[in-house]
Amino acid sequence: MPTGSLNIKRAASSAALSSYAPVTRTDPPLWETSLRPNRSLGTTGFRYIMIIAAIGLLLPSIPFLLAGAGVFWLGFAGLALTLLWLAITLNNHHGRLREHIGLWPDLIAVERHEPNGKIKRWQCNPYWMRSHLHKSGGPVKNYLTLTGNDRCIELGAFLSPQERVALYLEIETAIKSLGQSRR
Amino acid sequence: MANAAAHDQDDHPRPGFFTRWFMSTNHKDIGILYLFTAAVVGFISVSMTVYMRMELMNPGVQYMCQEGARLTAAAVGECTPNGHLWNVMITYHGILMMFFVVIPALFGGFGNYFMPLMIGAPDMAFPRLNNLSYWLYVCGTALGVASLLAPGGNGQLGSGVGWVLYPPLATLEGGYSMDLAIFAVHVSGASSILGAINMITTFLNMRAPGMTLHKTPLFAWSIFVTAFLILLSLPVLAGAITMLLTDRNFGTTFFDPAGGGDPVLYQHLLWFFGHPEVYMIIVPGFGIISHVIATFSKKAIFGYLPMVYAMVSIGVLGFVVWAHHMYTVGLSTTQQSYFMLATMVIAVPTGIKVFSWIATMWGGSIEFKTPMLWATGFLFLFTVGGVTGVVLSQAPLDRGYHDTYYVVAHFHYVMSLGAVFCIFAGIYYWIGKMSGRQYPEWAGKLHFWTMFIGANVTFFPQHFLGRNGMPRRYLDYPEQFALWNYVSSIGAFISFASFIFFIGIIVYTLRWGKKIEEKAYWGEHAETLEWTLSNPPPEHTFEQLPTPDMWDKGKH
Repeated sequence: MPTGSLNIKRAASSAALSSYAPVTRTDPPLWETSLRPNRSLGTTGFRYIMIIAAIGLLLPSIPFLLAGAGVFWLGFAGLALTLLWLAITLNNHHGRLREHIGLWPDLIAVERHEPNGKIKRWQCNPYWMRSHLHKSGGPVKNYLTLTGNDRCIELGAFLSPQERVALYLEIETAIKSLGQSRR
Repeated sequence: MANAAAHDQDDHPRPGFFTRWFMSTNHKDIGILYLFTAAVVGFISVSMTVYMRMELMNPGVQYMCQEGARLTAAAVGECTPNGHLWNVMITYHGILMMFFVVIPALFGGFGNYFMPLMIGAPDMAFPRLNNLSYWLYVCGTALGVASLLAPGGNGQLGSGVGWVLYPPLATLEGGYSMDLAIFAVHVSGASSILGAINMITTFLNMRAPGMTLHKTPLFAWSIFVTAFLILLSLPVLAGAITMLLTDRNFGTTFFDPAGGGDPVLYQHLLWFFGHPEVYMIIVPGFGIISHVIATFSKKAIFGYLPMVYAMVSIGVLGFVVWAHHMYTVGLSTTQQSYFMLATMVIAVPTGIKVFSWIATMWGGSIEFKTPMLWATGFLFLFTVGGVTGVVLSQAPLDRGYHDTYYVVAHFHYVMSLGAVFCIFAGIYYWIGKMSGRQYPEWAGKLHFWTMFIGANVTFFPQHFLGRNGMPRRYLDYPEQFALWNYVSSIGAFISFASFIFFIGIIVYTLRWGKKIEEKAYWGEHAETLEWTLSNPPPEHTFEQLPTPDMWDKGKH
C-alpha cells in the first residue's frame, strides 16, 4: 500500500473554522469525485435563445427607425436583450459551484469552489471520519454530512436525494476498501 | 466549507407576517400575492362593467350624468349625459383588465407558483428580482388607479381615450391623467419584462436533471411561451407609449400629421404588441386547461408534442397578424389579404389544441368536478369566440363589423369567458394545493353554472346587437337596440352575483374549508410534480432535485 506522507500544512488551530491548504501530494487518490448543481441549458441552447430573441426584437425596429424614433426602440429592446443575457449568464454563474472529494489512505480532502472564486477546504484522516446520511431532519431529504477534525460539513446539498444516497454508498465503499487494503 | 445545518433545522424560525408577505422571495408566496392583488383589481374593474351595464340597460342616460354619477336611475329630464364618465369607464375597464388583472393572475400568479414546481426547480432563478416584479406591478396598478382619479380631459377626472390610447385622442387629452396612465403601462411593462426574463431563465436552466424540453409539462411550456411573447413585444409597446409621452409633453410630432408624423404608425406599434398580448392572456390558460382535462378524463393528454408546438406557433403567428385590428385605416388590398390569410392560419394551431383536448376526453372516464366544468365551459366558449374570430378576420366582413358590438362579443368570448374561465379552473384545481383546504364542491358548481349562464346571457346577445349595427364605445343608443341590451345587462348582473358568491367561497375555503392531506387529491392522473408535495408545499421545495421517476411515470 502507498505510504504517502502528510504533505499538508494546517492553518490555525481553531478547529471549527480552520481553513486548510490545498492538497499538494503527488500520489493519485484511491478514489475521487466531483459534484456540481444541475443546469439544463447548454451553451448551444443559450446561443439559440439569444439569437431568437435578438431577431424577434430586431424586426419591429423598422417602423421605429422610419419614424426617426430608433433611440426608443434601441433603448427598450436593447435593455430587454441585455437583461435576458445577464440573467442567464448570472444563473449559469451561480451553477458554477463545485465540490471535489479526494480520498488517500491517510487523508480525505474536500474542496468546495464557490461561484465567486472562493475555495473552501476541509481535510481529515479517513480513519477518524464519519459520514452520515440524514434521511430527514436536514435542510434537504437525504442530507449527507461528513464529520471529522471537529467539524461537520455538508456534501452535495444541491444534488437530488437519490444521487446523495449513491454518493454516500460510494464514499462508504471507498473507505471500507481502504480499511481492507490496509490490513 | 459549507458547514452542515442538520441540527439547526428544527428551530428554523417562521418568518413574520411582514417579512413573509412584503419582503417575500419565495415563488409560492409571490404567486399568491399576485393572485390576490389581481383579484382586488379585478373587482374594481368588474364593478365598472356593472355600472356600464346599468347605464346601457335602458335607452337614454339614467346614471352617468353631468350633474354627478348616480346609483339610482334619474327621471327623464333630470340628467344631462356625461360622455366623459362613460369613456373613462371603458378605458379603465380595458386597461385594468388587460394589464393588471388577467396577465398578473395567470402568468404572475399561477406561473410563479406552479411553473418552478412543475419543472422541479428549487425556486425561481432570481427570487429577489421576482419580488421586484411583483412590487413594480403594484406600483403600476397604483399609478393606473391614480390616473383614474387625476384631472383629465373635458375638465373632469380620468382619461377617456380607450385602452389602446390612440393618438390624436391620447395626445390631445387634457390634464395629467393620461401621463399617469402611460407611466402605469410603463411600470407594469417593466414588471412583466423582469418577470418574463426570470421565468425564461428558470424554465431553460433549472429544469430537473433528465427533464428535457420535450418532457416538460404543458403549463410550464405555456408560461415559457408567454414569457417570450412578453420579452419580444413589450419593448415595442414601451417605445410607442414613450413616443406618445414625448408627443404630449415635449412637442415631438411622431403621431401628428401637422409635423410630418402619422397617427396610424401608433396603431401599428400598439397592435404589434397588442395582438401578442391577447395570446399572453390566453396561452397560460391553455396550459391550465390541458392539465385539468387530462386529470379529470383520467388519461394522459392527447398529443403532447403537437400541443407544445401549437403553443409555440400560436406565439410566432401572433407577431405577424397585428394589422387585422386595423383593416379600416387605409391598408392596401394586398396588405389586407395578407393579414386576412395569416390570421386564418392561426385557426390551425388553435384547432390542434381544441381537438387534442377533445381527443383527451374521448374514451376517458370523465368526472365533472368543478375544475373540469370550468375547463369544458372554457372549451365551448373559446370555440364560440374563435369562430366569430374567423368571421372577423375577413377584411370585407370586418367593414361591416368594425367597432360594433359584434367585436365586443368576440373578444369577451375569448378573453372574459376564455381566460377568466381558465383562471377559475386553475383556482378550483389548485386551491387545495395552495391553501391546504378544499372548497365545498356544491358551491364551486353553483358558481360555475351561474357564471356560465350569466356570461352567455351577457355576451351572446351582443352578437345580435353588432349585427344590427350598434357601435361600441357609446353611452347611449337608439330604442331599437333596447331589447338585447336589456337582456345583456341582466346577464351582467347574474355574472356579478356569481363573482360575489365566488369571493364568499374563497373566504369560506381559506378559513373553514375541509383540510386536505392527500398530496394528489385529484387522483393519480394529476401527474405533474406539484402533486408530489404536501398541501400547501413546504416553504422551500425541491432543494433536493426531483428525479425522473417522479414526473415520468406514465412513460415507463
